Amino acid sequence: MMDNIYSVFVDATQRVFSLMLNISEISDHPIKSFRCDDEIDIAIDIVGDLNGKVIYRFPVSTSLNMVNIMSGMQFQAVDVFVTSAISEIANIISGNVLTVLEESNIKCDISPPVLYKPDEDREENREYELQTSCCIGTTIGEIYLDIRLNRPS
Amino acid sequence: MLWKDRYELGVPRIDRQHKELFRRVGAFLQVLRSEVCWNEKVIRLHEMLEFMKRYVVEHFRDEEEYQKSINYPRYEIHRKIHADMVKYVSEVSKQFEQSDNNEELMQQFGGRLLAWLINHVAAEDQLIADYARKKGMSGNDG
Ligand SMILES: [Fe+2]
Repeated sequence: MMDNIYSVFVDATQRVFSLMLNISEISDHPIKSFRCDDEIDIAIDIVGDLNGKVIYRFPVSTSLNMVNIMSGMQFQAVDVFVTSAISEIANIISGNVLTVLEESNIKCDISPPVLYKPDEDREENREYELQTSCCIGTTIGEIYLDIRLNRPS
Repeated sequence: MLWKDRYELGVPRIDRQHKELFRRVGAFLQVLRSEVCWNEKVIRLHEMLEFMKRYVVEHFRDEEEYQKSINYPRYEIHRKIHADMVKYVSEVSKQFEQSDNNEELMQQFGGRLLAWLINHVAAEDQLIADYARKKGMSGNDG
C-alpha cells in the first residue's frame, strides 16, 4: 500500500472526476518538477499513520472548466468562488484517499484545504520518505499532485 | 446545475427532494453570480438562504429516515456528514448577517456548496442505492 500511494491518489482523482464531472478518461505520469504561474495550489495536511501533505495544483484553465461543468455557468476568471469550489474538490479527493487507506488499516486525518504559497512554506525543502509528483491528464486539462509523506518513526 | 438521471436513488420522495435541491441551489448560484450590484442581490440571497436552511434540514431528516428503514450500515457516518453540513450552512448564514452581508463570504460559500452537493448526491447518496439494490429493496418507498 505504501509503495502504492501514488496510485491511490490517482485512482481517487479518477473516481471524483468520473462521478462529479462525468469525465472517465484520464492518464497519469510521474513528473520531476512542476512550474506554472497560472494555477490554483491547494494544500491539505495529513496526520496520523502518515504525516505530511499533498499539494494539488490546478491550472487556471482546468479550474474554470471544472467549475463550468459543475455549475452549468460560464466562469471567465478565478475568484474566491472558483477557488472555494476547487478547494472542496481537493478535499473530496483527499477524503476518498483516506477511505482507501483505512481499508488497509492506515488511519489518517486531513486538515481543511488551504491556498498553498510555495514562498511561504518553511518546509518546502524538507525531505519526505514518500515524495512523489504526478501529472494527471484529462479531457478538460491537466492537474498536478505533489505528495509528501512520512511514516512516523 | 444540471440534474442527471444517474443521480437518482429510485426512491421517489428522496429523488424529488434532490431535484428540488439542485434547482434551488442552481437558482441561488445564478443570483450570486449575476451582474447586478451586490446590494440588490442581498435581499434575494437572504431569502434563498433561509429557504435552503429549512429545506436541507427537512430533506436530510427524510433521507435519514429512509436509511434507517432499510438498516443502512453507513447510517451513522452519513448522519454525521449531514449534521456537519447543516452546521456549516447555519454558521455561514450567521456570519453573513454579522458581517453586514460580506460578499466574499457568500462567494466562498457558493463555491463550496456547489462542489459539496454534487459529490454528496453523486457519490455518498449513491451508496444508499447500491446497498438497497443489493438487498433487493430499492424503489419501494412512497
Ligand atoms: Fe445524503
